Amino acid sequence: MDFSELKKRIYSYLGFHGVAESPETDALIDSCLSELRGIIQFRYTYRIFDELPGFLKKEPYAEFLSGCNRVILSAMTLGAGVDIKINRLSRTDVARSAVLDSCASASLEYLSDEYERGLGEKLTYRFCPGYGGSPLEDVREIFELIRPEKIGITLNENCFMLPAKSMAGVIGVGKETKKSCGQCIMLGSCRFREEGTRCYGSERE
Amino acid sequence: MLRFGERIVVFDGGFGSELERRGLGGIPEDLNITHAEDIRAIHRDYSAADVITANTFGLNRIKYHGAYDLETVARAAAENARAAGKPVFWDMGPTGAMLKPLGTLGFEEAYDAFAEIARIADGLADGFICETFSDIYELKACLLALKDNTKKPVCATVTFDSTGRTLTGSTPEIAAAVIEGLGADALGVNCSLGPKELLPIVERLLRSTSLPVIVQPNRGLPVLEGGRTVYKLGIDEFDEYTERAVELGVSAVGGCCGTTPEFIERISRFSGQPVREHEYTPSTAVCSPTVMTVIDGVKLCGERLNPTGKKALKEALINRDFDYLIDEAVKQQEAGADLLDLNCGLPQVDEKSLMPEAVRRIQEFCDLPLQIDSSDAEAVEAGVRAYNGIPLINSVNGDEAVMSKIFPIAKKYGAVVLGLAMDENGVPKTAEGRLEIAERIVRRAADYGIPRHRIMIDTLVVTASAEQELVSVTLDALRAVSERGIRTALGVSNVSFGLPYRPLLNRTFLAMAMTCGLNMPILNPLDGEMTGTVKAFNVLSGIDENSEEYIAAYHDYKPANGAVSISSKTEEKTAESLYDCVKSGLKNRAAELCERELLTKEPLEVVNEILIKALDEVGKLYESGVLFLPQLVSSAEAAKAAFAVVGAHMPKDAPKKGRVVLATVKGDVHDIGKNIVRVVLESYGYEVTDLGKDVPPERVVEAWREKRPIAVGLSALMTTTVRGMAETITALREAGCDAKIFVGGAVLNAETASAIGADYYTKDALEMAKVMETL
Repeated sequence: MDFSELKKRIYSYLGFHGVAESPETDALIDSCLSELRGIIQFRYTYRIFDELPGFLKKEPYAEFLSGCNRVILSAMTLGAGVDIKINRLSRTDVARSAVLDSCASASLEYLSDEYERGLGEKLTYRFCPGYGGSPLEDVREIFELIRPEKIGITLNENCFMLPAKSMAGVIGVGKETKKSCGQCIMLGSCRFREEGTRCYGSERE
Repeated sequence: MLRFGERIVVFDGGFGSELERRGLGGIPEDLNITHAEDIRAIHRDYSAADVITANTFGLNRIKYHGAYDLETVARAAAENARAAGKPVFWDMGPTGAMLKPLGTLGFEEAYDAFAEIARIADGLADGFICETFSDIYELKACLLALKDNTKKPVCATVTFDSTGRTLTGSTPEIAAAVIEGLGADALGVNCSLGPKELLPIVERLLRSTSLPVIVQPNRGLPVLEGGRTVYKLGIDEFDEYTERAVELGVSAVGGCCGTTPEFIERISRFSGQPVREHEYTPSTAVCSPTVMTVIDGVKLCGERLNPTGKKALKEALINRDFDYLIDEAVKQQEAGADLLDLNCGLPQVDEKSLMPEAVRRIQEFCDLPLQIDSSDAEAVEAGVRAYNGIPLINSVNGDEAVMSKIFPIAKKYGAVVLGLAMDENGVPKTAEGRLEIAERIVRRAADYGIPRHRIMIDTLVVTASAEQELVSVTLDALRAVSERGIRTALGVSNVSFGLPYRPLLNRTFLAMAMTCGLNMPILNPLDGEMTGTVKAFNVLSGIDENSEEYIAAYHDYKPANGAVSISSKTEEKTAESLYDCVKSGLKNRAAELCERELLTKEPLEVVNEILIKALDEVGKLYESGVLFLPQLVSSAEAAKAAFAVVGAHMPKDAPKKGRVVLATVKGDVHDIGKNIVRVVLESYGYEVTDLGKDVPPERVVEAWREKRPIAVGLSALMTTTVRGMAETITALREAGCDAKIFVGGAVLNAETASAIGADYYTKDALEMAKVMETL
């Protein structure tokens, strides 16, 4: 993993306000990242669909996918070890558990992006149910179609994926798009926008 | 006739991948009815196998959401599988839901779902195979359900990844111990990887179990081709690695994802071959899902979760204050314990309901194996049932009445049992007498099907002040038991009751006992003198090679410090004032300096003049962006540590700041934010009852009734769980709750908060603390 890439994201997830980074926090992040390396069990599963599955025919997916010739449904996880570790730390060292949590989230995004670079040339970003006002419940549709249970991801009655460091998303093939704030449900109260940044601002261009 | 363990049995190959290859989409179990002929065709194509697995992987009430009832699908699936004319094994897959504590599915709910399908399938199949499990706790629920509902053979296979662990962190050794302990007839590995990559895991399984081992690999590792995942391993290679597995000693072979009938036809050449012998040395071992403690050499069993003589623990058990238990467990783990004793026996409590709850809560935060310690057989059973892994049961003795109650429980759940060398006539006065009872216990255990290596013996410590001459009897018996290859335990510190300078006697006796073969002293791991004696023993007896552990523990030991306590870690930075400690987030030092401040200042003065002021400064720095979250939280933790010290100095009737009940609402399992709120509020001196995550509304109402807090804080991360938050608020209001209700979480804002009836929305922990101060 490229640490410098990751760190930008981690600082961003931790609510870094743009002042000088403290050496203590920097050391804490380094130590969390190296601890994570021994715990992460990254797994990725996906399926390519030539025909658009039914649930993607409605907005906001339809617009997101317009101009694409195929679609990839995917799911990915860091495994349950990370959850267990964060949970344990919440008893003994809450500061570290919060930093480890952010490091894990950033690692999952990073590892998924890296993996997806191998899936093809022209791809959209990974659009996850919940983005752009889409119902979180659509994650069920993805589960029906690609069965991420086989890589150990489960779904609870409120559409939470467990292990918690898991994602499920939709990727269009045949055009490139970048994230924007569009119809994000956080648009009105976004702390990133308040500070003139974007939550995805630290991601790889 | 299948002869598992004697002759090689060939299972069939991939089913899901075969459905996909044949263009059969939709819910796989429903295809048994809608496409019966196609399903039969697949089964027939696999008829080179000795065993056909029914198309029932997802057929349980939690996973299956198809068009029919379970029984209808089950009958159709069995009938289809029979078309191949071979014995049919029922395929039991996981529920697809994550069990608590990581997930929200209860252990007993999972058990019920598996039991239901086991009852339906018992008359339809010739055996069962649990497949593709990655959580051994869920597999425990499944195996218990099967053992309770069928007499037919039960096999279980688990998936591992290339690191050699399941997705929940269990090693092959742990999986093997749990599956064998729960009484399966065969165990193994399926899916996960290709046959080549699985060989090291197969070897580890073979070394860890006396049961027949099954291997059902994928058709190699998937490769990307034109943006699609394909399995490319050739039949020849698959066959070659299957042969290697057979040579290692596996008893059953087959295939998983990507394997086709051609693969199974080829490896059917192994069918009926004699199973090769392999090396397996049984060991006395207990485990949690992620830690296995093999009882050899000297292993420390922490004694601090036993209420005898511990007032604070007694109170915690009576009030069901599990946080206290969890902290004690974590402290002992950090101090180097290898397993922990857990005893909840008090006249004032319902041990049968308290024990399993304590087991679950401790296992959520501490991954050491547990010793379930109770004289009440029902509490023992409730505890070992709830336990995730292989526990130690403490205890039986030579009394038939006790053994006949405990051994069936140990057998059913695979537990290791600690036997006390005494019986209904008391403790024998001779070493021979105690050895005789030890042997009786081992013998009777064998009658119940519990092998010798799952029994440990405690030869019982007497008090030197009362029965000095019997100390050597304990040790002689210990040596005799140990010489017979049985692992031993002693509650060491009992020896010194009634004498001065107890630690000296305790550590001397410990050293004597270890030279006589003591494997598991039950002691206080926070006592550096005792754990230090074990470390020294390990050097002198050659267990600690090159004295590595000893040096690591004591390289900076200075005689001036007196006895070293290994539990107190040194903080690199030293801050000179309590104020600075809080600001820099140094919690151990903060507690120390707080003690010092209290020598000259009143408790309230320390709070108002130092702690609150330091916190206010940290808060301001955080808000202006000079400090950020981890530092804020560290400061809060330091202040909290100081508050704990102040609290001990406060007069009992001193006014308290009040209590806050916190919960992450039902269905929601993200609780980082709530944990930060907890620490920050505690740093301001509030007492916090943290109900955890996935908390149903009625639990919150119950906690409000019991604790009468001044505020209730609810957290929800996702849009789907804001509903649960609204329900909780409604339930609180209906119950007459007059406490202020705070809500927080990523998707909330002031508008939503007032729409669902909350009093306050606060954007972060600090803001909540500030609002609280104005109440």
